[in-house]
Amino acid sequence: MSEKLINLADGAEGLFIKTNRFNTTLISFNFFLPLKKETVADYALLPFILTSCSKKYPDFSRLNYKLSRLYGARLDSSAEKYGDYQLLKMTISVINDRFSLDGESLINNAVDMLLRLIFEPNTENGTFLETDLNREKRKAIEHIKGELSEKRIYAKNRLIEEIYNGETYGIPKCGTVEDVEKITGESLYKAWENMLKTAFIRVHVVGSAVPAGFFESISEKFSSIQRNNITDCKASLPTPEREKVHNVEERIDVKQGKLCLGFSSRLYGNDDISLPLMIMTDIFGGGPYSRLFSNVREKMSLCYYCSASTTRQKGLVTVESGIETENAQKAEKEILNQLEIIRKGEFSDFEYESSIKSISESLSSYNDSQNSLDTWYTLKVNNEKIYSPDDIGERIKTITREDIVSAAKGIKLNTVYKLLPRGDK
Amino acid sequence: MKKEYFESDIGESYVKAVLSSGLKIFVLEKPQYNSSYAIFGTKYGSIDTCFSVNGEETKVPEGIAHFLEHKLFESEDGDAFTKYAATGAYANAFTSFDKTCYLFSCTNKFYENLDILLSFVQSPYFTEATVQKEQGIIGQEIRMYDDSPGWRVMFNMLMAMYKNHPVRIDIAGTVESIAQINADLLYKCYNTFYNPANMFICIAGNVDTERVLKQIKNAIKPSSPLEIIRINDEEPEEIENSYIEQKLAVAQPLFCFGYKEPIKNPERSVKERICSAILMELIAGDTSPLYKRLIDMGLINDEFSSEYFNGFGYSTVIFEGESSNPKKVAEEIKAEVERLKRDGIDKKLFSAIRCGMYGNAIRLFDSVESIAMQMVDCAMTESGLFDEIKYLKAVTADDVYKRLSLLDNDKTVLSVINPISSEE
Repeated sequence: MSEKLINLADGAEGLFIKTNRFNTTLISFNFFLPLKKETVADYALLPFILTSCSKKYPDFSRLNYKLSRLYGARLDSSAEKYGDYQLLKMTISVINDRFSLDGESLINNAVDMLLRLIFEPNTENGTFLETDLNREKRKAIEHIKGELSEKRIYAKNRLIEEIYNGETYGIPKCGTVEDVEKITGESLYKAWENMLKTAFIRVHVVGSAVPAGFFESISEKFSSIQRNNITDCKASLPTPEREKVHNVEERIDVKQGKLCLGFSSRLYGNDDISLPLMIMTDIFGGGPYSRLFSNVREKMSLCYYCSASTTRQKGLVTVESGIETENAQKAEKEILNQLEIIRKGEFSDFEYESSIKSISESLSSYNDSQNSLDTWYTLKVNNEKIYSPDDIGERIKTITREDIVSAAKGIKLNTVYKLLPRGDK
Repeated sequence: MKKEYFESDIGESYVKAVLSSGLKIFVLEKPQYNSSYAIFGTKYGSIDTCFSVNGEETKVPEGIAHFLEHKLFESEDGDAFTKYAATGAYANAFTSFDKTCYLFSCTNKFYENLDILLSFVQSPYFTEATVQKEQGIIGQEIRMYDDSPGWRVMFNMLMAMYKNHPVRIDIAGTVESIAQINADLLYKCYNTFYNPANMFICIAGNVDTERVLKQIKNAIKPSSPLEIIRINDEEPEEIENSYIEQKLAVAQPLFCFGYKEPIKNPERSVKERICSAILMELIAGDTSPLYKRLIDMGLINDEFSSEYFNGFGYSTVIFEGESSNPKKVAEEIKAEVERLKRDGIDKKLFSAIRCGMYGNAIRLFDSVESIAMQMVDCAMTESGLFDEIKYLKAVTADDVYKRLSLLDNDKTVLSVINPISSEE
C-alpha cells in the first residue's frame, strides 16, 4: 500500500491510497467546516440532501435505480464532529470494471454521479426545492429524536453535552430539532456555497488506480469557485478542566441504568502528542485484558459492560458502563480506583503488552478494509504529515510504561453522568 | 478426509473438506490480506430446546445454548480471552436461533490462535459454582435487551406470529428459565450438539489451506457421529395475533411487520432465499414505487429495512423501521403485495435489482469476516460459496413472481413499540 497527496485547489487535497487487494474502488469527499450553533444544522443536512438528488437525478428513486444498475454501487453520507469542526462526508463505492457483464465502465459512471451530486444540486434561483428540503428535514428530525432509543448512545451524548455546556464541542453533531426546523431553502443554498468556498477539503481514492482525469476534473470545478477563509481544522481547543466534579443524574423509564464518566487530558491534538493517552485508555478500558473489563465487570460483576475510549482532538477520555442502580456508587468508586492503579504504575506487564499487541493487530487490519482506510486518513488530517496505520503501528511500540503512567496522572475527572430507572432507589 | 476444490470466474477459490468424524471445514485463502478470520461453530441455537438422541428424548430450559456459549470460554486451565490476549487476537462468540459460533480474527500468529480455538471449544468445564455466577451475568444481559426497542419489536412480532415454534422465545431465555440450568444439563447439551458431525470450521484470510487442514485433523478429538432429531410441536400456518404493542422510552414509534410463510420442508434453499430477497426489494426496496410513496408521505425514514428471516422450521418476510403511523405503513405494504400479484413484476426493475445484488455478492469477497460468515451459512444449509453468484445470473422474474403466492395478507403480524406518554 502507498499514498500520494495531490494539491487540487487552495485548501483542497486529493489523496490516492493505492491498494490492490479489493474488488471495489471507494471515493470520498470530506469537507471540514467550523462547528457553530448557527450553521450546524444546515451543514449537517448537506451530505444527506446532496446524495438524495441532483439536477441530473431530481428523483431519489431514479438515483437508487441508477446505483442498482451500477452493480449495487453504494452512496453514503454522514455528518460528524471532528473536534471543534464539522466533518461532512460523501462516499461512493463501486465494484471494479472487470466484473461488469455488459462492458460498461462502472467507475466512470460512479465518478460522474458523485461529482454531479456535489457540484450540481437540484436548486433553482439560489434555493433548494421545497419537497427535497422538507423530506430531508423530516428525516433529520426523526434521526435526532431516534437517538433516545439507543440508551447507550443517548447517555454518551448527554455526557458530552454536560461536559461542554456552552462550548463549541457541546453542540450536537446535527444540531437540535429546533435548529433543523429553522433551515430554509435559501439558508441551505448558502451553506452549500460556503462549503465549496471555505471548507478544508480532502478527496480520497482507495483502490488500485485513480479513475482517469478524476483529480483534474475536481481542480477544474474549483477553478471557477472563489476559495477564501479556508477552515484550519487543526485548532480544536482542549477539554476544560473543572475544579469541582460536575454530577448529573437523569431518570427515565428503563430497567437498567448507565453510568458515564468524562475526563480531560492535555494530551490532545495530533498523533505525535496523543498516542500515550490512547494506549493508557486501552489498558484502562479497552479489550478483555483491560482493568475495567477484567476487574469491574468480570471479577466484581458491577457492570454488564464497562469500557473506555479517547477523543483525540479534544483530549477527552470517556468511560461508559451499564449498571444496576444499587451498584452505581460502588461502580463509580471502583472505576476511579482502577485509574489510580494505573497512575501508580501497578498494572501488569501482561496488561501493557496485551494492549500494545491488540492495538497493533487492529492497526494492521485497517489495510484490509476500504472503509477503515478511508476513515483512518480522514481522521488523521490534523497530523503534520501523513501516517499510515503501519507507521502508527511502529510508533506505539515506542510508548513506555512511564509514558502511560504520566498520561494517567494527567487526566482529570470532569463530569459524572447517570441515567437511572425511574423509581429505583 | 474428503476434499473438494471450488473455483469461480470472479477469481476466488476455496476448499471444502469433511473429516471422518463428519466435521466440515471451509478454507478460502486471501494471501494479499494481513488478516485472517476463523469461526468454529455448531448447528445448535436457541430453538433447540427439545431433541432426541439414540431414541432418548430430552427437553432443556430456554436459553441454554447461549448460556453454554458463555461458559465454554472457561476451561480448567484459565479462560480463552486471557490466552487470546497473549497473542493479540480479537475474539468473540455469538448464539443465534439456530447456531452457536466462536470466532477470532488476527494478523499474527494465526496457527497459535487456531490452537486456542480448537482447544477451548473442545474442553467443556462446568461446575455448579461457575454456573451460578453466570446466572447473574446473563440475567443482567437479558434485562439489557428488555430496554432495547429494536430487539423487543422483533421478538414481540415473533411471539405473535408463532404459536409453538421455539423461534418465539428470546435467545438468552428468561431469568426464570436460566435459573433451571445446571452443570449436568450443560454437559448433556454439549455432548449432543458439540459432536464434530454437527459442527463446522470456516476460515478466510492469509492462511495456508494444507497446514490448516492438518492442524484441525490432528486436534479434533475422536468421536462417533450421533443422530440428532429436533423435536418441535407442529406449527400451524395461522398466526397467533395480528397486532402486538409495547410501550418503552422512545421518542417515536418503531414497527416490525412480517408475513408468516407456509413451509413444506424445514429449510430454505439458496434459490428460494435469493428469490425472496429480490421479491422484498421489488415490494419495498429503495428503488420500488412503494418506497418512494412511503417516503413522500412522510411515513418512513432511512431506518426502514427488510429481511428474509428463516431457519429450521420458520420463514418470515420482515419489514421494519420507525414511523409516525405504523398501521398505515402495514396497510400500504399489503396493498402493494396485492397489486404485484395482480399486475405482475416490473421486468426492468427486476433486472436492476438483480444487477445490484450481483455486485453485492462480489463485494462480499472484499472482507474476510463476510466470507467466513457466508461460509457458515453454506455449512448450515449444505450450499456452496459461489451458489449465490451462480443463481443470480440464472434467476428469472417468473421465479420471483412465484414466491409472491407465499405472502398471504391474512397471515401478517404488526408489532409496534410506542412511546410512553408523559402522563404515565
